Amino acid sequence: MENVLSILFCLSLFYVIVTSRVKAYVTVLQIQGVLLSVLLIIQVIHNFSVYGIILPITLLLVKVILIPRYINKVISELEIKRRIEPTIQQMILLPIVIVTMITIFIVSSILSKNTAMDVIPFASGFSSIVVGIYIIMFRKKLIVHVCGFLILENGIFLFGTAVASELPMLIELGVLLDVFVVVFLMGITLNRISSTFKGFEVSHLGRLKD
Amino acid sequence: MLDFFIFILLPVLSAAFCFFVKDLKTQYSISLIVALLHLGLSLLVFLGLYNTDLPTFFSTDSLSKLFLLILSNVYFWIVLVSYSYLKRPIIPKAEEAKKYYFLLLNFYLASNSAAILSNHFGMYWVAAEATTLSVSPLIYFYRNEEALEAMWKYLFLVSVGIAFAFIGILLLTLSAKGTPLEGEQLFYTTFIKNASQLNPIWLKASFIFIFVGLSTKIGIAPMHSGDVDATSNAPSPIAALMSGSLRLTALIGVMRIYQIIRPTSSSEFARTILIIGGLLSLFFVFVYMFKVKNFKRMLAYSSVEHLGLITLGLGIGGLAFVGALYHSIFNSITKIILFLMAGNIRHNYNTREVLKVRSVLNFMPKTGWLFMIAFLAISGIPPLGLFFSEIKIFEGILFSDKPYILALVMFFLLFIFINMGKAIFNMLYKNGDGEQQSYKSEKFEFSHFIAIALLILLTCIAVFSPNILFENIINIAKDFGIIL
Repeated sequence: MENVLSILFCLSLFYVIVTSRVKAYVTVLQIQGVLLSVLLIIQVIHNFSVYGIILPITLLLVKVILIPRYINKVISELEIKRRIEPTIQQMILLPIVIVTMITIFIVSSILSKNTAMDVIPFASGFSSIVVGIYIIMFRKKLIVHVCGFLILENGIFLFGTAVASELPMLIELGVLLDVFVVVFLMGITLNRISSTFKGFEVSHLGRLKD
Repeated sequence: MLDFFIFILLPVLSAAFCFFVKDLKTQYSISLIVALLHLGLSLLVFLGLYNTDLPTFFSTDSLSKLFLLILSNVYFWIVLVSYSYLKRPIIPKAEEAKKYYFLLLNFYLASNSAAILSNHFGMYWVAAEATTLSVSPLIYFYRNEEALEAMWKYLFLVSVGIAFAFIGILLLTLSAKGTPLEGEQLFYTTFIKNASQLNPIWLKASFIFIFVGLSTKIGIAPMHSGDVDATSNAPSPIAALMSGSLRLTALIGVMRIYQIIRPTSSSEFARTILIIGGLLSLFFVFVYMFKVKNFKRMLAYSSVEHLGLITLGLGIGGLAFVGALYHSIFNSITKIILFLMAGNIRHNYNTREVLKVRSVLNFMPKTGWLFMIAFLAISGIPPLGLFFSEIKIFEGILFSDKPYILALVMFFLLFIFINMGKAIFNMLYKNGDGEQQSYKSEKFEFSHFIAIALLILLTCIAVFSPNILFENIINIAKDFGIIL
């Protein structure tokens, strides 16, 4: 079951690479949030505890409702145009991503011979981290960068479940809170940037140079 | 529990207080009291007069005691000077930033203390991310375009960097698979004890991810750009706070993973990475100093240089390790003076360009002289602190297995000194063309008093070299398994 969810997670990455609409990024973030929550709920069902249900619920709340809503609000407030304006066309980035993913999957299956781990969630998580970085590198709009950062964070989360690291509840919640506040601050900053620079693309940020 | 209350809870409560009470003077008094209590208790803890009793996820050892004291010291002086700084007339747009200044400062203290005192990697990560969140709105204090861009870049780059550090932490759990540590929590203490059983491949990967991720926050090349932008555009007290303590809070994370990797077979690998990081930082600063235009940016690069030197010292080990720890103390104190004086100059000339600032010694003699002394201190002129720590680092490098590095370091430092000196002495001495020579005497400001007090402190620590400090640093070296 975990493998199925991870594969679905990978498919959402392909969608995010080929789409050219900003709103689609937010949808993908929601889908990934749901997948991660389901993954956690499955783990809780295996050894049930009332205490353990807090984390999936908070995850659902933060990653599926709060953050996407907030980003949508920022998008509509700033009247950001719907297209993402890539620096590299989607059809060039797609093969790059496919090659990267294949490499990651092969390397992880080789590595898994020495260390016990779930190969598919591990590789999917790592792919998501790399795709997040690609999005930050090859897209012009700053709001898309924020989405890229969140995809990277989701990847790390999946990666964490794959290596079966059981961080204490308090810390997991702290991590979620931190991510939420980061996105919140980034939203406020974007608001300022759009009113100061009359735009929200990387090209506007070129004042600080040596 | 009193220690936990004063180190972490009290600053949080004080931040909440600052949210509700809008009067600046009340906010200042409360923050100052909190800072004083923090400084007092961390001094007691450092001197061994108070035994800490912290809840789970937190503990103290020699390293955290030292870094906590550095944090308290820097923070106390910065809060002390903040009120006179905020009283200066600034552009109307920045008025609204004052409201949140002390709130964020208190939050900064709480998150930094939590990061330094944590003994669990997860807790450290949460606290380290919180330090970024507390400091980035402060960077945007002046509400101008440069500050906004700096804040965005810092927030984004450091958040991504810290996310990388989190991957490193996850890889550390992976390295514990199949050892007695499997399923254990990520406490430093247990990991350090059982380090030799960890899987070396994952341990190396973990070190790289944590080092690269945190180096965005430490300001080690080539990930230094966000940090330099932020330090050079933040108001001077915040810049001093970032250079003096925030970078060290990030460094402690790297030192913890280094402490785990030291007794293993991957130790040499980690050393090499630290040495490369340090040398690369020195090289970047060396190149930048040839085209220096903005004096606050120059000071930010100087922080990159010194953190690079500290990283190099940690990597070399032996006496250089001891020197690096001394260096972190002296650097933090000197940076406060330099940034405060640079802030005075910026305020008076209303520019950050080196070429537009002329004859500071005539127009602002007090600031000018203190700035010059602080510059001499940061360049390692005796008896001003950094000389002693740099000598130790150099001696350590000379007697290590890689003595040739010393030649490179000396070469870089010499040119950094020459170019930085050229810029600073131009600012201090050179007269502008056709300027009327009517110098008014400069008032003795609060920042001058603080600069003098800090210079005395710097010299005293260096000359008298308190035994307790020496013992503490030796204990840290022992914890790291360094043979002196």
